Amino acid sequence: MNVLTLFARNLLRGPVTDPYPFGPTVTQKRFRGRIEFDAASCEGCKLCERVCPSGAIKFSKDPNGLAFDCWHATCVFCGTCAFYCPTGSIRQTNDWSLAHVAADKYRMVEHGLIPNQTCVECGATTLDTAPMQSGVKPPLTAEDVATLRPLCPKCRAKFMKNRKAKK
Amino acid sequence: MNILTNLKTIASRSPWLYRINAGSCNGCDVELATTALIPRWDVERLGCQYCGSPRHADIVLITGPLTRHVRDAALRLYEEIPDPKVTVAVGVCPISGGIFRESYATCAPIDQYFPVDVNIPGCPPRPQAILDGVAKAIAIWRERL
Repeated sequence: MNVLTLFARNLLRGPVTDPYPFGPTVTQKRFRGRIEFDAASCEGCKLCERVCPSGAIKFSKDPNGLAFDCWHATCVFCGTCAFYCPTGSIRQTNDWSLAHVAADKYRMVEHGLIPNQTCVECGATTLDTAPMQSGVKPPLTAEDVATLRPLCPKCRAKFMKNRKAKK
Repeated sequence: MNILTNLKTIASRSPWLYRINAGSCNGCDVELATTALIPRWDVERLGCQYCGSPRHADIVLITGPLTRHVRDAALRLYEEIPDPKVTVAVGVCPISGGIFRESYATCAPIDQYFPVDVNIPGCPPRPQAILDGVAKAIAIWRERL
């Protein structure tokens, strides 16, 4: 009986083969694939570089700022960087199509640049990172973030101290 | 004679796949088995088949970071495969070493020892990605014939 139901079902449903190289395929929404970096929301804490088990993520100093690089050819898609990222600027996409010819091996890189800026208070050259938000009480408002963003770390600390004294 | 050469160019030949496990954790090997044995990802649709002997192989799939212990055996096996052959590195371990990078026990990346043609990164790569890579390898192999 079981065999007959299977037989009937297979007749109705047709082949189960995924048509992939010649047609569309299914990817789960939460599939952990290639990572994606958003430089605008990065705090520059470099926690991802520290927790990456395969050493795929590397921050390097650049004349224009701080460069972020993730080499897909050594990333193991563990998602540790995305888990530890305090701002969610590292995200795992469900993109798995990474097969490439060997000549492109060193081009399989996710690159991002946190640019340099000039502090509006003291005029020092600093990185244009997002202000640190975790553990700040009371939480930063959108105005606070807007004032903190163009400042250097020292002026940011001064601002936070004044803000604490006001409360 | 003329007809024979014409036939050779018209008829598309089918490559045979051969798998070398160079110290892999078997994750990539399971995915390779999945692409071949499960009807859902049927690698034989691309006209290729797994074979048991290196002497019959056309496309070599290498998994694992090439451990020091298996290096000589893998190199010997690779020598037995007749030319023209296409080498495919499956998984991040043979490409760069992955989490075993810079370990004293592994000789990764394998392109120091084998002329790699196609890379399929992933830990392990998805069956569709392997199909992608095999399709690329077949295209390279057709050019080399």
